[in-house]
Amino acid sequence: MAEMYPPHAALPADLQKMVLDTIEHQGQTQLRCKVPDHRSLLVDFRNQQGYDYLVDVTALDHLGKDTPERFEIVYVLRRLADPRHQFRLHAWLSESEPSLASVVDLWDSARWGERETHDMFGIVFDGNPDLRRLLMPEDYPAFPLLKDYPLTGREERRQFPRVVPRGDQMVEEEPTDYPTSIGRGMHTPEYDEEVRRDSKPRQ
Amino acid sequence: MGLENLLSGEGFLTTTVNSIVNWGRKNALWPMPFGTACCAIEMMATFSGRYDISRFGAEVVRFSPRQADLLIVSGRISLKMMPVLQKIYRQMPEPKWVISMGACASCGGVFDTYTLIQGVDQFIPVDVYVPGCPPRPESLLDAVFEVQKLVGEETFDSGKHGS
Repeated sequence: MAEMYPPHAALPADLQKMVLDTIEHQGQTQLRCKVPDHRSLLVDFRNQQGYDYLVDVTALDHLGKDTPERFEIVYVLRRLADPRHQFRLHAWLSESEPSLASVVDLWDSARWGERETHDMFGIVFDGNPDLRRLLMPEDYPAFPLLKDYPLTGREERRQFPRVVPRGDQMVEEEPTDYPTSIGRGMHTPEYDEEVRRDSKPRQ
Repeated sequence: MGLENLLSGEGFLTTTVNSIVNWGRKNALWPMPFGTACCAIEMMATFSGRYDISRFGAEVVRFSPRQADLLIVSGRISLKMMPVLQKIYRQMPEPKWVISMGACASCGGVFDTYTLIQGVDQFIPVDVYVPGCPPRPESLLDAVFEVQKLVGEETFDSGKHGS
């Protein structure tokens, strides 16, 4: 293993005060800070210290654990010139106000990570120009990676119309036991006309 | 019956319209593959030379639902994919049949999670289920035979498939 380098050693003194603690484990370095401070730290790492690659943005949910805040936002930074220079910056984020400044202007790759973190945890990144759902349907009613969300969901997976045969064509029956439906964005009048035309019997 | 004797030398055969239509249909199934996971790999093996589904007349794989009459759902169907599967099913012209291949398509398999449909038969009609995780190609061939049996039982007045 190469000699350890403290990623924050070259930080100006006022920024060093923002680093709450440093953990070295298995050759990996982790810095901690609070949320409004993460932005100035990341600006310095990007512009002054050459961390030109944001590997990932993600989040941790510490629901029910004895931590300063519920959420941790994790940034993984790397210098492409020397891949040994990689570390994580963890930023505490409070549950009462789950929003923080985006870093899309520093690294383009933050678009995807922030979008996915928003999709899974509902955390809002102020300044991200495209903060839509990434993996879940647009009208999904929950943020599934939150620890208070059940693994099997809240019956969203049963909320679809059923396609059943009626006479000589197939029709869609709305579910009676579950009131709402997900993924209905594609059910436009054009869609209904199209499937009505397509499901007619072969002549 | 004297008619067969009379016609036998002339290249005729006597049958019912029902049987000859069903005979044609069941020996020329055109499958639409809806492969979303590892079952699709086994399905591809079934289509290819070693297992060779074309021996049973079902080799014309159509990637357009408008030209297919057998939907093979092979793999996990997620919450986001289910409306797509329903649309593709409804786009297939009647008469049509559905094979639910593998544990995930039939009941969700090991993925009892918020995003996975626990059996596509909740939302579209399924004719034949194939057990396995993933099923071997022989199992899929067996399911095709079962579909062929179902096709053979169709009658014009059944009304089930709008024929």
